[in-house]
Amino acid sequence: MSAESLILFFIVGAFLVGFAIVFSIFVAPTSTNPQKAEPYECGIPTEGLTWLQFNVGYYLFAIIFLIFDVEAVFIFPWAVVMKEMGMIAFVEIVIFFFVLGLGLLYAWKKGALKWE
Amino acid sequence: MFEGVPLHWFLITGTIMFFVGIYGFLVRKNLITILMSIELILNSVNINFVAFNKILYPDHLEGMFFSLFIIAVAAAEAAVVIAIIINIYRRLVSINVEKMDEMKY
Amino acid sequence: MLIMRHELLLIAITVILLIVEIFLPNTQKHKIILPAILLMAAVTVIGFFPGTPGVLFGGMFQSTQLTMMFKNILNIGVLIVFIQSVDWLKQDQNKEKISEFFLLMLATLIGMNYMISSGDFLMFYIGLELATIPVAALAAFERLKEKSAEAGVKLIFSSALSSGILLYGLSMIYGTTGTMYFADVAPLITGVPLQVLAFIFFFAGMAFKISLVPFHLWTADVYEGAPVNVTSYLSVISKGAAVFIFTIILYTVFSKIAVMWSDLIYVVTILTITVGNLFALRQQNLKRFLAFSSIAQAGFILLGVIGQSQLGMTTVIYFVLVYIFSNLGAFGVVGIISNRTGKENINDYDGLYRTNPNLSLVMMLALFSLAGIPPLAGFFGKFFLFTAAAKQGYYILVLIALINTIISLYYYLLVIKAMLLNNSDHPIAKIRSDNYTRLGLLICVAGMVIIGFTSSIYEMVFNLSFGLY
Repeated sequence: MSAESLILFFIVGAFLVGFAIVFSIFVAPTSTNPQKAEPYECGIPTEGLTWLQFNVGYYLFAIIFLIFDVEAVFIFPWAVVMKEMGMIAFVEIVIFFFVLGLGLLYAWKKGALKWE
Repeated sequence: MFEGVPLHWFLITGTIMFFVGIYGFLVRKNLITILMSIELILNSVNINFVAFNKILYPDHLEGMFFSLFIIAVAAAEAAVVIAIIINIYRRLVSINVEKMDEMKY
Repeated sequence: MLIMRHELLLIAITVILLIVEIFLPNTQKHKIILPAILLMAAVTVIGFFPGTPGVLFGGMFQSTQLTMMFKNILNIGVLIVFIQSVDWLKQDQNKEKISEFFLLMLATLIGMNYMISSGDFLMFYIGLELATIPVAALAAFERLKEKSAEAGVKLIFSSALSSGILLYGLSMIYGTTGTMYFADVAPLITGVPLQVLAFIFFFAGMAFKISLVPFHLWTADVYEGAPVNVTSYLSVISKGAAVFIFTIILYTVFSKIAVMWSDLIYVVTILTITVGNLFALRQQNLKRFLAFSSIAQAGFILLGVIGQSQLGMTTVIYFVLVYIFSNLGAFGVVGIISNRTGKENINDYDGLYRTNPNLSLVMMLALFSLAGIPPLAGFFGKFFLFTAAAKQGYYILVLIALINTIISLYYYLLVIKAMLLNNSDHPIAKIRSDNYTRLGLLICVAGMVIIGFTSSIYEMVFNLSFGLY
């Protein structure tokens, strides 16, 4: 893709989105009332400060997710060369998943996947 | 798409990121922010590797693979750091580095 | 297959222990101790069978007689650490985490094995990280103690920063040479400014790991806060492996700019020995004391590195071997006393000889060996290091190191004086150590004495290191 087409893409995209917004201002019916200003228009009003600390449980999940998510990065180069390498590549990825699976099993057994 | 971009632009970006990371590591007081500074350092290294590989040595993919491994190792490191930080928070009810002064000199 | 024998065996026992851990009920965790130690002992013994040197993964992994022998040394060290930590693992606070201790230790050992036989910076980096990240988890092992958590944070952040700096240097090396293989990089190192900068970054990163002055600031805090067994592991095994691969990379990859790095190491050696010794003088906590003494010992090791010869490589390995036994002996005694009584200060050791004669004898031997008193192995280790440096003409450096040896003798003797001569109203009560602790200390004492009296080990190391350099 060359730079020109990219610039054209941006211009057309900006025009389409801008046009939709401007068009809706003129066409759509408008009404104003105090409820409009609330963060959740059709929900319960929030109580207290929203800058509260998150439950530690989120972090525990985040750690486990992070590891298994990033390990997926190794599957991409494997997928590229799999057809050329054949059986060896298959065996290697099975070992890889076996070790990953052991890790998951360990986390499960330790109760790290339970929400408390 | 990046054909016209010279190598030194990437290197300047990488260097700035590296030193911003070092600065953040030394100055910041919050453990999570320090972790973010370390990630900055590692990502600046990634930029260097990928730029060198793409522009100077496009025949082999060594630089690309190195950055892939850096990403994976950085994730593992972040996981251990966050686990230790959670533990610190439970002990000290704070993640400010200045609270961690039980041992000095 | 036989080329990667050490690593494959370790991976196998790690996986076995992990599976056992998953299916073992919570109340039965202590049953894993004996099998873990026996498996490790088996691996150590199998490691001594003659193996075939060779190269794998297109040069990424290279195994020589020298690396095989160093892996055996590390195996012995880890085995001693395992045996010594049984007493600590059986405490109530650790009873649910026993197998994690073994798993993390084995993971770091695997990392070190890959690191020391790497033939490529990628393998080196992965091994290095695998060898450091689990250690941070180990340092924060005693979850309920603030000090332990603090040690974990300090260790992981300083090691993460150091590996970031090291990687930045590696990226520059890649930029100037276009390859990451040691063999291909070496001829392309010509000393252009970018490579010099890269080397300085690399050196700073490694100096963090070996805790050389001025990159030593994390050492004392981490050593004090971490559990004693983890500290002994950090100070001996991690440091030994890092020094080994550092020496190899200096000798093989950066040999063309040796003029430059020998100046750098000259300064760093003087700083490390002097600062380590002077700070050790004023320590009251024994773990901190041993931390600074281990910084000084790292400086002594650099004396061998600076020689840049076969003799230098030999003396480095020999010193690491001696150092493993001496330091593990000292830490073993500190560990058992700290675990049973919680006392870690030098003053607490007053009159230890009256109540625990055997423990204080082991401690005395270990400290004498660390200080370098003749019949023990430590003397020969230091003597050979001095010879290696003197042969290259670094007489002033050797002189400074000798003066520092005398200073170090003073503070080692302070501890011995406290144990043997000082009287105390409340000496540490008699400790009945279990068989594991006795066995661990016995191996250390045997190592210190036997290595001191047999010259064949030194000759063996000398012959093996010929192939490398």
